[in-house]
Amino acid sequence: MAIVASLTSCRKESEVSGIVNPNNRICKTFSQQFDAVWNGMSQGYMFWGRDTVDWDQRYEQFKPVFEAFDARPASNPVTPSEYNAAYQGLFQGLLDHHLYGKFTVPKGQYEAIVSPGMNDYYHPDSYADMERREELRVLQQRLDFVQGSYYAYDPEDYGSFTIPGMYCALLKLRQGQYIGYFRFTSFYLSNVHTYYSILPQNDAVQEPLRKFYGPRYWDGVNSEGGYASDESVVGLIIDLRGNGGGSTADLIPFIGSLSQSSTLVGYTRVKDGFGRLDYSPWSKYIVGCPNLHLRKAKPIVVLSDINSVSCAELATMLIKNLPNGTFIGERTYGAVGALWPDSEHQHDYFYSGCFGDYDYYQYGRDIYRYKDFYPYYVYTSTYHMVDCDYNDIEGVGVKPDIEVLFNWNTLRNNQKDLQLNAAVDHIRKATREQ
Amino acid sequence: MKKHIILLVALLTTATTLNAQGVETVDSLSRQSAEKHLFWSIGVTGGFDRNYHIVDMSYMNEYRYSKYAPGMSYGLQLSFSPLRWLSLRVEGVMLEKNYYRDHVIGGTATSLPDTTINQYVNVPAVLMLNVGNKVRLHAFGGGYWGKWLTSARRGVTYAMNGLTTYEENLDFESAESQVRDNRSDIGLVWGGGISTVIKRHLEIGVEAKWFYGLNDVQKPYMSQLNPRYNTTVVFQGGLSYWF
Repeated sequence: MAIVASLTSCRKESEVSGIVNPNNRICKTFSQQFDAVWNGMSQGYMFWGRDTVDWDQRYEQFKPVFEAFDARPASNPVTPSEYNAAYQGLFQGLLDHHLYGKFTVPKGQYEAIVSPGMNDYYHPDSYADMERREELRVLQQRLDFVQGSYYAYDPEDYGSFTIPGMYCALLKLRQGQYIGYFRFTSFYLSNVHTYYSILPQNDAVQEPLRKFYGPRYWDGVNSEGGYASDESVVGLIIDLRGNGGGSTADLIPFIGSLSQSSTLVGYTRVKDGFGRLDYSPWSKYIVGCPNLHLRKAKPIVVLSDINSVSCAELATMLIKNLPNGTFIGERTYGAVGALWPDSEHQHDYFYSGCFGDYDYYQYGRDIYRYKDFYPYYVYTSTYHMVDCDYNDIEGVGVKPDIEVLFNWNTLRNNQKDLQLNAAVDHIRKATREQ
Repeated sequence: MKKHIILLVALLTTATTLNAQGVETVDSLSRQSAEKHLFWSIGVTGGFDRNYHIVDMSYMNEYRYSKYAPGMSYGLQLSFSPLRWLSLRVEGVMLEKNYYRDHVIGGTATSLPDTTINQYVNVPAVLMLNVGNKVRLHAFGGGYWGKWLTSARRGVTYAMNGLTTYEENLDFESAESQVRDNRSDIGLVWGGGISTVIKRHLEIGVEAKWFYGLNDVQKPYMSQLNPRYNTTVVFQGGLSYWF
């Protein structure tokens, strides 16, 4: 009995009892802030199954750095660059391309901001450049073959839902046949439409949507009144280049309505425990087809580039998976793990995704000017997503069916958008074969 | 682990010694008895079990593990009985170490139940003390080695579209499972039972035994890992043939 009693005590004590919820922690020192951030990532980061970063090694490496910060005398304070370098080093190389963290010190004197995925953004010159997006948009309006174009710029700011550069056009393909072109610069249109129930409707925003989808654009492709369903429009181009993402609520009415049935986009999973490899099983991610949808399948080309992020990548995957869909352009950014940044309870619901101090996230460090603690906020994915063949997209991007690299000189000097031309050629060829 | 191996060797050494002593005394016992003492038996068992999955979820108090989950078990056992009151028994048992879990979201009515069915083979080696003649009482203790054979779960989880049901068989060959899952199973076993001889050479009985896992079902792949242990209570009936 004595042997049995002694052996039953061989079970290890749980180490998690001391672990606390990383949401809304009050940290009084540099190292307390570090511990809260490190633990929050250890418990709730979605990509430990794929990430090559050794998070335990990072603890060994950076814990002494933050402890040394605490030990510094007032005559030798921690500098902003030292603080920033410590957090940059801690997060360096993490896979999540949504990942964004910000950390500050008492009174908000200075802060560190990390976004490790952006390191991938410094891509080869041949890829489109985010800085050139605005110029690209202006140039595209001068393209010779654009007929009957409608351009909308929303001068009002509906919260964060600005949609500058949304653009609708008819491109002449051959006598009596056209291509419907629509450029989404973000996916907040459903949210904007909801705002119209309390705010005045905005024709500048709604006009291109009505032209392309019809009068009830928020419900999908109307059977009459929009380019998409018009008999003379034999193909569609959805331009998502430079689209930084938005709400997945847009996918069904604005992308799913271009299909004839629901479409499997890929599979997702969430965390379901403390362990870094505690995951739920994979679940199908299907984008539905609304009642108002395109009745007759037409060739659809989606144009995306490395500046197409998040929801724009989901839309790209959706169109790419359609039997009549083709993706032309460059690989996308590779940030497809969806999240809810505005939900304070996200970590409480899922024990993964964004965590930290939500006031600091929303209102910035200024509100901490008179406080004596060290707030932090980490914006990271709630879902891990793979494509229909279980290939990872995060950090890799969606690969085009036909790769056409962005050529800035050709666009600027010759007014030729090679990616758009390739899309038109593809539809011309596809409709000729019909 | 070393401690467990030492214990197992000690138990087996003790058993062997008792066995050698038993051979000398068995003849005298047999002479006193009307029936010849039989040394060996082989038997089959079947029944059900209750598994207690021990997890500390700390502040994740919306994950609720049920106290226990039922399962099935069956096995094959071989006994050597050098003395009427002492046996050494080795058994191969297939048993389920299942658990139920629920994830109730944020104090709402949203519930994500999850059932995990884990099949194990355990091989306990025990020393058994026997009391009685026609009806015998047994008490035993020892250690077991085992292997986690399969794992399947079904339940409800969050998908991008909202809640969705799933069924999944865990692939132990997957890269994540190779890093995470500890498929070997070592622990202590003890219990007791009652049996009776229904016919010459044939004995039936029932017993209850506790499988107390000593190793975490996860490999130590990260710091601050919360260990998970199984304690399984098995209730079995059995039929043995003595020869």
